[in-house]
Amino acid sequence: MEFVKKLQKSIEQHFDHNVLCINNTFYTYNDFAIEISKIRAAISNTIEDSEKLIGLVTNDDLQTYASIIALWLEGKAYVPVNPSSPKERNIQVFGMTETKYVIDSSETTLYDEYTVISSSTLANVEINLVPKEVSGDQLAYILFTSGTTGLPKGVPITFDNVQGLVNAIDAESEFNLVPSDRCLQMFELTFDFSVVTYLFPLLGGACMYTIPKGAIKYFYIFKLIKEQKLTVLTMVPSIINYLRPYFPEVNAPDVRYCSFGGGALHSDIAKEWSNCLPNCKIFNYYGPTEFTVYSGFYPYHKETDQKANNGIIAIGTPQKDTLYLVVDDTNQEVPIGVTGELCLAGPQITPGYWKNEEKNAESFFIREENGITVRYYKTGDLCFKDEDGDYLYVGRADFQVKIRGYRVELAEIEFHAKTKSEKKVNIVALDITNKLGNAELGLAIESEEFDTDYIFDHMKTQMPAYMIPMHVRFIKEFPHSINGKINRKELKTHFNIN
Amino acid sequence: MSREEILSKVTEAFTTVLEHNNFQLTNETTANDVDGWESITHMMIITEVEKVFNIKFKLMDLMNMNNVGDLLNTIESEI
Repeated sequence: MEFVKKLQKSIEQHFDHNVLCINNTFYTYNDFAIEISKIRAAISNTIEDSEKLIGLVTNDDLQTYASIIALWLEGKAYVPVNPSSPKERNIQVFGMTETKYVIDSSETTLYDEYTVISSSTLANVEINLVPKEVSGDQLAYILFTSGTTGLPKGVPITFDNVQGLVNAIDAESEFNLVPSDRCLQMFELTFDFSVVTYLFPLLGGACMYTIPKGAIKYFYIFKLIKEQKLTVLTMVPSIINYLRPYFPEVNAPDVRYCSFGGGALHSDIAKEWSNCLPNCKIFNYYGPTEFTVYSGFYPYHKETDQKANNGIIAIGTPQKDTLYLVVDDTNQEVPIGVTGELCLAGPQITPGYWKNEEKNAESFFIREENGITVRYYKTGDLCFKDEDGDYLYVGRADFQVKIRGYRVELAEIEFHAKTKSEKKVNIVALDITNKLGNAELGLAIESEEFDTDYIFDHMKTQMPAYMIPMHVRFIKEFPHSINGKINRKELKTHFNIN
Repeated sequence: MSREEILSKVTEAFTTVLEHNNFQLTNETTANDVDGWESITHMMIITEVEKVFNIKFKLMDLMNMNNVGDLLNTIESEI
């Protein structure tokens, strides 16, 4: 597998460079190679060849990162579980993947019922980074996301999928990591965004800086930017929302790339943040876990490239070898300018949800294009394509609600409320079901109570009456999912309107 | 304002945000010692403390705040 060989070369070529900075301790690529070699020797001695899906407890340490590479060199996939998640959930994940082996760097493991490779106590071996041959349809990792039925939903990603991602990023001349780069790695390894924040620094011979568990991440990120002079930031937009009150104090001339993903990037905050990073290119990436992290991006610039819809920055164009298609309810392509569901095709598409035929039947479809059969993934995101060929994000398909028969985009309501609000706080529109089973609109505001009359007066001048929320709740702290996204389902429980 | 008075007001701010008082704050207390004190609630505690003392922290101070003692020192220097 080409990208695994490239990883081998990059590690071997940069032995004297730093690979990771964890809690102020630096590790070199040489240290990394030693750990990888120890772990792969243990894998090869302990695990039979036919066992491909190996559990990985995602601690914040050198061994955990080394385990991913060791598994790939051995042609196996990692099944990551977060040590902060309930053990029951993690066992559920291992149960679904029939995982028998777990790599765990913890001092004492919780996974005694499995065969555990204790990666922090292995004996030294000679460095060996030569990858085994692996077929591209073998899995490289499986990530689990919360499923609507309560059972976590598995997204398997193959070596070919990851190769597709690497090819696409390599083709992008605007983004190129070099050994002198210092890159933020703020993500849990159970979150798919982490794949780009460890893989690309490793391929470039650059150094990653992690956030220690227990640190106040917003300030720790700023501390890293300031003291370690980070050059590459990859973040979810919610990070800068919290740092926003302090933007006037942030000036980070060393940052050359800042990539956003995993949520809508709003144009007002993007512009303010851009002022803090005078020498930086900002990329607004788009892509679901099911399509191996990224499928495309929009290159934002506060003066020249600020295309947005309802205040949300465009997601731009598909990357190399990726196809975008916007469809209606019957999976037929809609014309330019018309909103529909965005579907993705190309080498990064997952083979399908793990052992979930029902969900696969809903989420994937086949289309004949010029005599070729193309398989598309339905993202659940509503978009439209403009005359320039850029794609603009409208909202989640499941955030498109029907109010008194009208189709309503919750994002549009949020946009108008936020535009007018003097307090720059999170505002979320929600559809709440009343006792008659009808949807009513609620507006959740992350703040102490304040007077919202002027916001409502403004909204009434911008939107039809049926789009004006009937219920307002002030919530001091919005509930978040483990990935830092606002948990809308839980927010709805604050609206007891029956 | 004495350090004890500051500590008492800070304790109140923590209680307001975390909605429990199952903790004893000392100079050495860190986020690891108090239930519910993590990244997001920390931001809320900071906002609450700013409100109670009518001060505005600098990002540089917040960045180097590792325990309750650091927080009290910063408040003392601001009021």
